[in-house]
Amino acid sequence: MSVIILAVVVLLPIVGGALIPVLPFRKRTQMMVYTEGIVLLNSVLALSVLLTRPEDAFVLFRFTSNLTLSFKLDGLGTVFVGLISILWPLATLYAFEYMKHEEHEKFFFMFYTMTFGITMGIALAEDIVTMYCFYEMLTLVTVPLVLHTLTREAVLAGRNYLYYSLGGAAFAFIGVIFILIYGTSPDFTAGGVLDLDKIGSRTNLLLLIYVFCFFGFSVKAAMFPFSGWLPQAGVAPTPVTALLHAVAVVKAGAFATMRITYYSFGTEFLRGTWAQTVVLIPVIFTIVYGCSRALKETHLKRRLAWSTVSNLSYILFGVALMTPLGLTGALTHMVCHAVIKICSFFCAGAIICQSGREYIFQLDGLGRKMPKVFAVFTVSGLALMGVPGLPGFISKWNLVKAALDSAHPLAIVGVAALMISALLTAIYMLTISVRAFVPSNADRYAVTQTAEKGVKRSKKKAERKIVPYDEVRDPGWMMILPLCIFVIAMVCLGLHPQPLLAFFGSIAAEIH
Amino acid sequence: MGVCILIPVLLPVIAGALLLLPLQRDKIGEEADQRQSGLSLLHRIVGSVMAVSAAVSLIVAWTGADSFTWFELMEGLPVYFHIDDVGRLFITVISIVWVLVCFYSFTYMEHEGKERRFFAFYLIVYGILAALCFSGNLVTLYLFYELMTLASMPMVLHSGTHEAVMAALKYLFYSLCGAYMGLFGIFFLYKYCDSLTFTAGGTLNLALADGHTGILLAAVFLMIIGFGAKAGMFPLHAWLPAAHPVAPSPASAVLSGIIAKVGVLAVIRVVYYIVGSEFIRGTWVQTAWMVLALLTVFMGSMLAVREPVFKKRLAYSTVSQVSYILFGLAVLSQTAMEGALLHVVSHAFAKCTLFLTAGIFLYRAGFARVEQLDGIGKKMPKTLWCYTLAALTLVGIPPTSGFISKWYLAQGSLEAELGGFSWVGPAILLLSALLTAAYLLTIMTNGFFPKKKEPVAVSARESGKENADCAGAAGKQAAELTEAPVGMLVPLAILAAIAVLLGVFPNPLIRFVSEIAASVL
Amino acid sequence: MELVQNFPFITIIMALFSGPLCSVLKGKTAKWVNTVVLSLILLMSCAVLVFTLQTGEAYVYQMGHFSAPWGNEIRIGVLEAFMAVFFSVVMLLCMLGGRREQMEELEESKQNLYYVMVGLLLSSLLALIYTNDLFTAYVFVEINTISACGLIMIRQNGHSIVAATRYMVMSLLGSGLLLMGICYLYDLTGHLLMSNIQEQVALLQESGEYHIPLLIAITLMSVGLAIKSALFPFHSWVPDAYGYSTLSSSAILSSLVSKGYIFLLIKIFYRVIGIDVVRGSKVVNVLFVFGVMGMIFGSINAIRESNIRRMIAYSSVAQIGYIYMGLGLGTANGLIASLFHILCHAATKALLFIAASGLTDVSGKDPDFFKLTGSGYRNKLAGVAFTVGSLSMVGMPMFSGFISKILFAEAAYETTNKLIPTMIALALSTLLNAIYFLKTVIRIYTPSYRAGIKTDNRTIEMREQPLKSVVLILFIMLNLVLGLYSEPIVNTLMSGLRMFS
Repeated sequence: MSVIILAVVVLLPIVGGALIPVLPFRKRTQMMVYTEGIVLLNSVLALSVLLTRPEDAFVLFRFTSNLTLSFKLDGLGTVFVGLISILWPLATLYAFEYMKHEEHEKFFFMFYTMTFGITMGIALAEDIVTMYCFYEMLTLVTVPLVLHTLTREAVLAGRNYLYYSLGGAAFAFIGVIFILIYGTSPDFTAGGVLDLDKIGSRTNLLLLIYVFCFFGFSVKAAMFPFSGWLPQAGVAPTPVTALLHAVAVVKAGAFATMRITYYSFGTEFLRGTWAQTVVLIPVIFTIVYGCSRALKETHLKRRLAWSTVSNLSYILFGVALMTPLGLTGALTHMVCHAVIKICSFFCAGAIICQSGREYIFQLDGLGRKMPKVFAVFTVSGLALMGVPGLPGFISKWNLVKAALDSAHPLAIVGVAALMISALLTAIYMLTISVRAFVPSNADRYAVTQTAEKGVKRSKKKAERKIVPYDEVRDPGWMMILPLCIFVIAMVCLGLHPQPLLAFFGSIAAEIH
Repeated sequence: MGVCILIPVLLPVIAGALLLLPLQRDKIGEEADQRQSGLSLLHRIVGSVMAVSAAVSLIVAWTGADSFTWFELMEGLPVYFHIDDVGRLFITVISIVWVLVCFYSFTYMEHEGKERRFFAFYLIVYGILAALCFSGNLVTLYLFYELMTLASMPMVLHSGTHEAVMAALKYLFYSLCGAYMGLFGIFFLYKYCDSLTFTAGGTLNLALADGHTGILLAAVFLMIIGFGAKAGMFPLHAWLPAAHPVAPSPASAVLSGIIAKVGVLAVIRVVYYIVGSEFIRGTWVQTAWMVLALLTVFMGSMLAVREPVFKKRLAYSTVSQVSYILFGLAVLSQTAMEGALLHVVSHAFAKCTLFLTAGIFLYRAGFARVEQLDGIGKKMPKTLWCYTLAALTLVGIPPTSGFISKWYLAQGSLEAELGGFSWVGPAILLLSALLTAAYLLTIMTNGFFPKKKEPVAVSARESGKENADCAGAAGKQAAELTEAPVGMLVPLAILAAIAVLLGVFPNPLIRFVSEIAASVL
Repeated sequence: MELVQNFPFITIIMALFSGPLCSVLKGKTAKWVNTVVLSLILLMSCAVLVFTLQTGEAYVYQMGHFSAPWGNEIRIGVLEAFMAVFFSVVMLLCMLGGRREQMEELEESKQNLYYVMVGLLLSSLLALIYTNDLFTAYVFVEINTISACGLIMIRQNGHSIVAATRYMVMSLLGSGLLLMGICYLYDLTGHLLMSNIQEQVALLQESGEYHIPLLIAITLMSVGLAIKSALFPFHSWVPDAYGYSTLSSSAILSSLVSKGYIFLLIKIFYRVIGIDVVRGSKVVNVLFVFGVMGMIFGSINAIRESNIRRMIAYSSVAQIGYIYMGLGLGTANGLIASLFHILCHAATKALLFIAASGLTDVSGKDPDFFKLTGSGYRNKLAGVAFTVGSLSMVGMPMFSGFISKILFAEAAYETTNKLIPTMIALALSTLLNAIYFLKTVIRIYTPSYRAGIKTDNRTIEMREQPLKSVVLILFIMLNLVLGLYSEPIVNTLMSGLRMFS
């Protein structure tokens, strides 16, 4: 019985979401209730699945005898399912408030809800083909969300996103087929499924294909040469950037790399090979690169997006260490970063929504007017830079522990990169907070002037009106409530991570 | 009973946090009467909280239980408090200074405004400092070290001018840079040490570390530089001269007198309580550390001599003087370590006194530059006398405490077998002492014996334009200058007196520090 | 002999004679005659397929019971029957889908001629599929060329005449080479019947004589058919021919005609020469290289193209590249992948052409890329169909392209030195396909008022063009069936291949 729910949680939002533009809603409220109802119901179902923990797999569809769409819940999937099913209803609530002023709401919520189901599909996929299928579908349903405003920038960004993602998937595809042929089974198994007898002496080939596959999936996780799409995709409405481009989509990329590394190719085989070196180098580079770009960026959401680029590579770094500890670190950062980044994006969304200002130099002194939002933003900044007591520190600690534990010579470079990145994170996050709370009176005039210039330049881009400084206020409860929840979650996670860490440890322990 | 340790930590933090909440925000500043009553209420609250927490922390430190685990940050990472002699020494110095500066600032902060915010952070920082002193392991230390950076930053940007914000950010980023270097090292120590709990003599597992000595030494060196950032050690010293002139004077006083010492505390903890002095003795780390410390000593003094802005000059002086301490620690000998700890105490009191006098000049006359102080001794003799005593301490003239500490430092370095450093070190310390005399005592002589008759008013007007931000009351006529108010003078006098008296009756303190030094070396 | 066994022959003859019949009829009547003939052929082919599936082995049908070497024979197995069914389905759907264009774009007096050409074309395609005789094959190749030329030219505007001339020149070149190859082979073996030739070739191979002439024969035939089926360096005629002819012609030409030649080439490789010999001659490697290059360069050209029909035409070049790549792998699984891709491409490309015409219909008949802005909203079904076709070409799961991609990749893993090139080519080509197809999809769903482009505001509902809508829906379903239930189809192809050689 409970096995069927595995398929239900995938299909319900897809079908329910697809119905949104068709159903005859008379009022906006009806649509809101319907959407939130579907999402909430699905979350509850998903969480109930996590509690009952069905052992068996559910086969939804059979392409051919060895290509199936089937779902199964395992440890790694539990983390991802739990993460998204907790965050999605909150983000949907936030989206209602945010999307009030946007057009084509129905289509937006249609794709937004469908994405929920597809992300579930990735999380619950039993085998690599299922994951690949949902991975491709994820690209397709999220492109309309990036395109949403259909301005020139949005179309460009959407197109780039599409090309990057599909290109990445095309390379990942090589690895998928490889597993189908050289694996003992396409199902994910802790420790890998490679049939070493079949491979024989073609070790280098295997490694090359792993590298292709890793790079392919890491496109969604915005690893260095392929990171350009993520900041560009910041043109999407904030609920999308927050939930999809900080959590669901990009984490799906990281999740996929975990799957192939630990559950398909198997770390025992990969550890210490040249393939590990080849994937570690860009990962470590991205950690610093993302931060540096964030530092240079003056657009608030794009700065956060670059920060995401860097932080996703933290996760990939943990993955690429190829040790159980590395997986623990990666999972920890996956969860911690999700909470932190969605929180800071929501703050950014609230700021943009309430003040119409998108550039950082326009935010001077806004902390006085929106103390709650900026306080939360500061906390998320502190968490991101890894102040002890907040979740960023926990994940960083675990990652570094894993890095020092692995004998790989690049690991120490990685630790140094993490530290540099922490410092840069502090710089790009805290500057915003400090300047928002303590506007420097001396150059207020200069600031407003440049701000106006910036506005003129970006007039075409930003159709939102800039609200005069004195009229800026904290947003309503629908936006504040998720923020408060996230802050509480962060503090709890930061101060009491043991249960979670123990769980991650038990997942990682299955891998030899 | 261990829970008591939390009282001096949590009480000021909670009180400060409550002050930050936007209660009755609008009432303060509306009218003079209301403002006055609001202020006196604020002063009463802050004063009592401060006094209570200082008293409790001293009681806890000297009598109460000595260890307590608060909670586990992670598996194997407890937030653990343990009171030992080093902690006692530091918390005592900190508590005395903090309380006195607090009373001083009641009067001083009147002309800076936004008292509420200032005192809120002031209290929070005290709580965090107490926790730092009581920290029983490296992770706890790091935790509160970062929190201290974050909480003390608002005190620097208090005035909200562009310079202040920039200086505060500079302070923040230098400190964080240092902290992350420290964290980098902590990761390695976590791997190669038996535990991160502070143990006299170190916990490094030599068997485990065997073969990784190179990377470990590098990590330790990074930690020294990183925590040295707070102590103003070259190359991460640049925040000090930027932050001090723009911060309110009480804030500068505690930044220089206390917070810089926290860097020293962290270095002591790392080197003597985790790594162990034996591990780095004779290695390149020790050499490099000494070179950096001596370089900083010399460079700080030279820069101070050239500096015309009073508080900046004092900041450079701090750079130089704190590196005396670091040099003493770098020597890794018992006597030098005693000297270093003595200098921690003596410098804390002396430098606080100096910054508070600078504050008085700013408060009364708006004088920020050295040349404005010509003849000030005629108008404010008591203030300048306190200044003189503190300056003498810092220079190291007997019988002040500075003399004792420098004596021990020099002796320690001569005793230790360091090759060239045995005599280069004392020579540079001596040279720097001469420079200190040059930059501090000239102010005193000029203050009491002005070169010209009435140069004050003119230069005040001139430089008043230049330093409009710094000088709140710039342009006051010299004729109106009177002695500082009692509320400021009393703390000042007490601090100066302690600085001197510790030199007259040094024996209990020397005994105490020699015990510490003996236990770790 | 059962009645069903006669059907292949009958279908060829029916198609052949429906042509002359149509030439004396009026356009409208010819249209109906043609449709009926096509449907009948479809039904009969289905019957043949069922029959072969039941018997489970191939049979030889001798025309007029003259035995070889004098007689002419055809050979029917599962593979042939399946291809025949599929070709006639696609043909029928293409004709129906382009029905309105046939009426509008062609002169009234020429309409019946169109059906003549279609009849001839189908008969030649069927003959190419069934024939067991190289000379017959050559004859029908020529018929095919001529009728295809007619299909291109019949629209009678400047572009289509130029296109037809180019097609004619290239095609005749190809036929010439093919003929030379056949002559060589005849010279070497003294036979024209495929099975006989194979025996002789095997003997030659054993004796080790005439290696070079044999190689030349293989090369000539391969190159000839490659030119005719628009393999990469010989593809210059494609965009004009597909881009400017009338809709049904484009759809048929791209999805069927070139596939007929490829099927013939496969037949030559497997049944005439023997795949081992071909593999030994390294011709497959050459085909592989050109196939891969075709995949890449075809797509690059498509990206640069702003005329949507020419873009789809260039995409055909890329897809033909896929097929030759599979062929070039030189393994049975590679061949299966190629065969499946023939099906997949036939179903998808026809869908894309018809959908594209639906989109241009609401954009002032202008195939320019920017004029299509927002057309997905004005003609909803065509928009959806185009999206489905695009996703299938890109290789999204659920659609046929995904399966053929998997089959290619799986086949590639059996080889050693071709694995990495195949994989990289597949990945790159997927990316390039995504670039031009999905760019177009985004374009057709960008509202024109946003993009600031003035477009035709005509909208077309499904009801207005029932025939086209039905065809589009059938093609979408065909695509989904190929994508979702590929296993029986692949099994059929495999069993067909077993009885093929």
